[in-house]
Amino acid sequence: MSNNAAKHLFIWGSLLCFVILIVLTVDTMGKLDSRAPEITAEVDAGKKVWHKYDCIGCHTILGNGSYFAPDMTKATVRKPKGYLKKFIMNPRAIRPNAAMPVLGLSEKEANDLIAFLDWMSKVDTNNWPPPPILAQAAAGKAASAGQVLFQQHDCAACHQIKGIGGVAGPDLTNAGSKQPDPDWHIAHLKNPESLVPDSAMPAFNELSDQELRDLAEYLVTLK
Amino acid sequence: MKYQSQKIALNFYTAAVVLFLVQVLVGIIAALQFMWPDFFVLNFNTIRTLHINALVVWLLMGMMGATYYVVPEESETELWSLPLAQLQFWATVLAVTLVVVGYIVMGIFPQANMEIFGTLLLNEGREYIEAPRWADILIVVSVLLFLFNCFMTIMKTKKFTAVQGVLLGGLTFLALMYLPGMFYTKSMVKDQYWWWWVVHLWVEGSWELIAAALLAFMLHKLLGTDVKVLAKWMYIEVGLVMFTGILGLGHHYYWIGTPAYWLWVGGIFSSLEPIPLLLMVWDAFRTTRETRGVVSNRIGLYLTVSHAIFNFVGAGLWGVIHTLPQVNKWTHGTQLTTAHGHLAFYGAYVLLIVAMIYVTVPSIRGAKEFNQSKGYQSFWWMTISMVFIVVTITAAGMVQTYLERLFGLDYVSVKANYNLWFWIFRAIFGVGFLVGVLILVVDVLTLGKKPAASGS
Ligand code: HEM
Ligand SMILES: [Fe+2]
Repeated sequence: MSNNAAKHLFIWGSLLCFVILIVLTVDTMGKLDSRAPEITAEVDAGKKVWHKYDCIGCHTILGNGSYFAPDMTKATVRKPKGYLKKFIMNPRAIRPNAAMPVLGLSEKEANDLIAFLDWMSKVDTNNWPPPPILAQAAAGKAASAGQVLFQQHDCAACHQIKGIGGVAGPDLTNAGSKQPDPDWHIAHLKNPESLVPDSAMPAFNELSDQELRDLAEYLVTLK
Repeated sequence: MKYQSQKIALNFYTAAVVLFLVQVLVGIIAALQFMWPDFFVLNFNTIRTLHINALVVWLLMGMMGATYYVVPEESETELWSLPLAQLQFWATVLAVTLVVVGYIVMGIFPQANMEIFGTLLLNEGREYIEAPRWADILIVVSVLLFLFNCFMTIMKTKKFTAVQGVLLGGLTFLALMYLPGMFYTKSMVKDQYWWWWVVHLWVEGSWELIAAALLAFMLHKLLGTDVKVLAKWMYIEVGLVMFTGILGLGHHYYWIGTPAYWLWVGGIFSSLEPIPLLLMVWDAFRTTRETRGVVSNRIGLYLTVSHAIFNFVGAGLWGVIHTLPQVNKWTHGTQLTTAHGHLAFYGAYVLLIVAMIYVTVPSIRGAKEFNQSKGYQSFWWMTISMVFIVVTITAAGMVQTYLERLFGLDYVSVKANYNLWFWIFRAIFGVGFLVGVLILVVDVLTLGKKPAASGS
C-alpha cells in the first residue's frame, strides 16, 4: 500500500465511521423517551441536586462513576424511599459507621433527589445490574415459612444474616438473642417507630397475622 | 534544538510534571480514604476530582508542550508567535488554579456550588469534566489559541508532513470532542450518552492519534528511520484506531438505558480495538531492530518502546477482557474498570509524555550527552508500582464481581471486609509510585543542565 492510499483510507474511513455514529445517535435519541418514564420538574430538580453535591464523586450511576460507594441505578427498587431520605440527610444518624458525610441537603433537595433516583430506577437498562445468579441458586433451600417470607419481602436488602445481606439496617445474625419475644417482633414489623424511635425501617402492615407470626418465629431462631 | 521558540515546551513540561506530582499525592490520600473515609479535611469526592482532573490537565499540557516542540522542527521554522504561546501557557495555569480553588471551596462548603445562569458555579458534578462552564469556555479558548498558533506556523513554510497532519488532526478532533460535554440535559441517560463522547472519543480516538504521531516522531528522531516508512505504518495504525474506536464507543452503551443493538455494535468494534495498539508495538520493535549504529539517547528509546508495550497491555488487553457485553454485564462498574483505567492511562499517555520529555528536553537544553540513570530509576519505580497497583485492584475487582454481582452480597460489606487487604496493598504501592514521580520531577528540572559524569 502506498502512503497516499493509507492516508486516504484513514481520512475517508474515519469520516464514514463518524457518519454511521451520527446516524445511530439520531436513532438512539428517538428511542430513549419510550425506554424511560416522563421527566417531571421534580426529577429534573433532583438531577441538579445530584450534580450540585457531586454525588458521582463517590457513587456510580448506570455503572459509571467513582466506585467508592454503592451504585445508584436501581436505588429505590430494593431500599424504601423513607429510609433513603433519612439516610441522605444524615447518614450517620441511621448507620453510625457510614462512610458518607453529612452534605447539608435541605428537605426539598432530598425529596427531589429521591424523585430523580426513582425515575432512574425505572429506566430500561437492558436488565442491568443482573440478578445475582449464585444467590438465586441458593435461595431455593429455604426451610421454614418465616424464612420464605424473609426472602419474598427482600429483608436482606437492608439486613445481614451471617455476612449475607445489606448493611442499611442492623445485623440480624443474633436477632433472637437480642429480642427473644416473638410478640415484640410482630409489633415491630407492624410499626417500627413505636418501638425504635426514629427508625428508618418501613412498616410491614400488609402482612397477615399468620405471616407476621411466621416471620417473628423465624427471627427468634436467629441466635 | 534548532529553533529558539521550541523552548516554550519546557514551560509546559514543568507544569505537567508538577501537576503529575499533585495527582499522585492526592491519589495516596484517596487510597487511604478507602480505609478511613474521614482521614482528610476534604472528602473522597473532592480528592478524586482533583486526582483525575490533574491527570487529564497534565497530560494535555504535556501534549501541548510536545506539539510546540514538534511543529517548528517539522515545519523548519520558528513558531508563528512565541508571545502568544507564552500568553496561552500562563492563561492556562491561571484557569487551572482558579478551578482547583473552586473544587476545594466546594469540598469544604458544598452549598457554595450554587446554580448561576443555569449552570453550577464551582463543580459540574460530572466525572472528568467537573470543571464549571466558565472554565470550559476558557479551556476552549486556550486550545483554540494553541491550535491557531500551530497552524499559522505550518502555513509559514507549508511543509505538510504526515506527523504534523495526524498530530494536529488529533488535536483538532480532541478540541471538537470537548463540546459534547458542554450542555445540560434533563435525562441522565442522554447526559451519559454525550459524556461518553468526550471520554471515550478522547482516550480511544483523538488521543491515540496524537500518540501514534508522537510515536512516529520519536522513532524518527531517535533512530533516524525513513519518514516514509514510519508515515505509512502511522496511517495504518490511526486508520484502524478510528475504524475500531469510533463505533467501539458502543461498549459504553450496553446498560445506560440505550437500545440493545449497541450490544452488537459495541461488542464487535471494541473487541478489535487492541489491533492497532499491537501494530504500534510491532512498529516500535521493527524500527529499533532495523537500526544500525549506536543510539545516544537510550533512555528516550527505552521509554518510547515501553509506552508502546504498556499502551497495548493497559488499554488493549485490560480493556478487551471486559469489553464483550457477556462479560461486561457482570464486571461493569466494579474495581476491574479502575484497574483498566489506571494501566491504560499510565501506559498510553503517562509514558508517552514522559518519553517525549526525555526525547526532547536534552536537545532543548543543548546537551549532547546527559546522565540517564535517574530516568531509568524513575521508570522502574513507577512501572513496578503501577503493575502491582493494577494486579491488586484487578483482584479486588474479581472478588467484588464474584461476591457482589454473582452472590448478591452488599457493596459496602465487600468493600469493608473482603477487599480490605487490597486497599492496604494499593496504598503501599502508591507510595512506591510517588518515589518514582519525585525522581522524575527532579530529573526533568535538571536533565542535561550539567555535563554527564563520565561512564554514564
Ligand atoms: C489508552 C486508551 C484507554 C484509556 C486511557 C482508557 C481508560 C478508561 C477509563 C478511565 C475507564 C473508566 C471510565 C469511568 O470512570 O467510568 C474506561 C472504561 C472502559 N474501557 Fe477503556 N481506556 C482505553 C482503551 C480501551 C480499549 C482499547 C478498550 C477495549 C478494547 C477499553 C475498554 C473499556 C471498557 C469496556 C470500559 C467500561 C468498563 C465498565 O464497564 O465500567 N478501553 N477506560
Ligand atoms: Fe471506551
